[in-house]
Amino acid sequence: MTPLVESDDADVPHRPWVWYDDPRVLGWGSVALVILVWEMSARISGVSPLYLPRPTQIIVALIEMFRAGGLIIDLGWTLWRIFAGFGVAVVVGTALGIWIATSPRVRAIADMFIAMLYPLPKVTLIPLLVIWLGTGGPFMLTISFLGAIFPIVINTVLGVRQCDPGLVLAARDLGATPQQIVRRVLLPSAIPSIFAGIRLGLGVSIILVVAAEMVVGKLGLGARLYLSGQILETEQVFAVLIVLATLGIVVTKLQDFIDLKLGRWRLS
Amino acid sequence: MLADASRAPNVAIEFEGVGLTFTSQSDAPTVALKDVHCRIEPGKVTALIGPSGCGKSTLLQIARGFLDPTRGRLRFVEIASGKATGRPAMATVWQAFNLFPWLTVIENVAFGLELAGVRRAERETRARKAIAAVDLSGFENRFPRQLSGGMRQRVGIARALVMQPEVLLLDEPFGALDAQTRLVLQEQLARLVETSGTTAILVTHSIEEAILLADKIVVMTARPGRIAEVIDVHLPRPRTFATTHEPEYAALFDRIYGMLRDEVMRAMIIESEGLKA
Repeated sequence: MTPLVESDDADVPHRPWVWYDDPRVLGWGSVALVILVWEMSARISGVSPLYLPRPTQIIVALIEMFRAGGLIIDLGWTLWRIFAGFGVAVVVGTALGIWIATSPRVRAIADMFIAMLYPLPKVTLIPLLVIWLGTGGPFMLTISFLGAIFPIVINTVLGVRQCDPGLVLAARDLGATPQQIVRRVLLPSAIPSIFAGIRLGLGVSIILVVAAEMVVGKLGLGARLYLSGQILETEQVFAVLIVLATLGIVVTKLQDFIDLKLGRWRLS
Repeated sequence: MLADASRAPNVAIEFEGVGLTFTSQSDAPTVALKDVHCRIEPGKVTALIGPSGCGKSTLLQIARGFLDPTRGRLRFVEIASGKATGRPAMATVWQAFNLFPWLTVIENVAFGLELAGVRRAERETRARKAIAAVDLSGFENRFPRQLSGGMRQRVGIARALVMQPEVLLLDEPFGALDAQTRLVLQEQLARLVETSGTTAILVTHSIEEAILLADKIVVMTARPGRIAEVIDVHLPRPRTFATTHEPEYAALFDRIYGMLRDEVMRAMIIESEGLKA
């Protein structure tokens, strides 16, 4: 008997490859299986669609909402609200993060505010923001901005502070001005960390905008979700959830793609 | 190729009673350098050698202008006129390479030229020449992570030489490399420095490296760093590994080793007392 080898490399020649070993087949296949079981059990048990609509009913509702129900407009509003505030947060957060990381004075001041505001669940700010800003565009922009800004600032500070001081010395030696050091050394070396912050920030922005829409909105995916639930249109609730889940997948994959492009040097 | 006749080095660097004391709020002040008198001749290679913590890298940082001495002064003297002048153009080769990991080899080498606003076509031409001079042609578009330690330091050397510095500062350039790579790179660097005719200051732990590369060896004492002795090296150039078989080489090696052994012992005692305190 040969001893048991744990390494994958040693394993491969002994076991022939089978089609269901493909991670995509496993992933998509199991999703399909769950939907199939759902459909069958809902049909057989005869559970009321008020509680659990069948996947086919949900799909029909989804198509109907896109075709005649203006769901595309709701999607557009939600995306606009998320990305407007998030976009401002990326620019402001990165700049602020660099400033905090490079100036001990600014850091001393900012540390206090971050320590107070960061752990606060941002949904708790919704009532106050409604009082100040109403329920229109400025409110949505602010709520999305507040969701994204903290992770971006904190990760930017972390990334800049972790920059190898040898690289800064080397740049100075090659004649870099303080501004050039920020733009050409600190910023690129912090990019992986900044991206981690952007990823976290966008997630929080999505949550906050949808939650705010549920509370105050008349338009947007959150509002649609809440209204559908109120009138017990359960298929529509599921349909909106599918749109939100798809949005999450698209955003994650897009970020993976950008990460890969920007992080070429990190791969061997 | 890297020699530039119009800018032949003609500025000597003079350390006049240079001292540096680091003060901190928590610890007793540390005297890193004390009363250093030394002259770096233009167009020559001066090696600074001494035990760990003797302040030889600190001296290099003072020459570069990244640290200011707390006592004494640094002067730059134009040889022809004997007048004081400004700091000549300098470039450093680092022990830890300090290459920008997100830039390719050619982008790293052209970095300083880009900062200085040199046009793209010109900086690429100059960077390619410098890369060829360290035998790295064909690796222009690799990232530092994809290169061996020896290759990375050759990029570091090219990045410094492409700036055509009047003074090349070598801060333990081969300290992080294995013994064989070290031998090959020492020869290569000796050749590059000879052909470029630049002034060079080499900080090293290696007696062999100092003798192979330098015209003048400055032996330093343990903390506080002081100059123990200045030794001229008259071995003929080009020097290669074969030079190490010359009797004059052996005599020099023994002499420097004799001085350093005592200093290293003293440095070890100081260090262990520092740990006890």
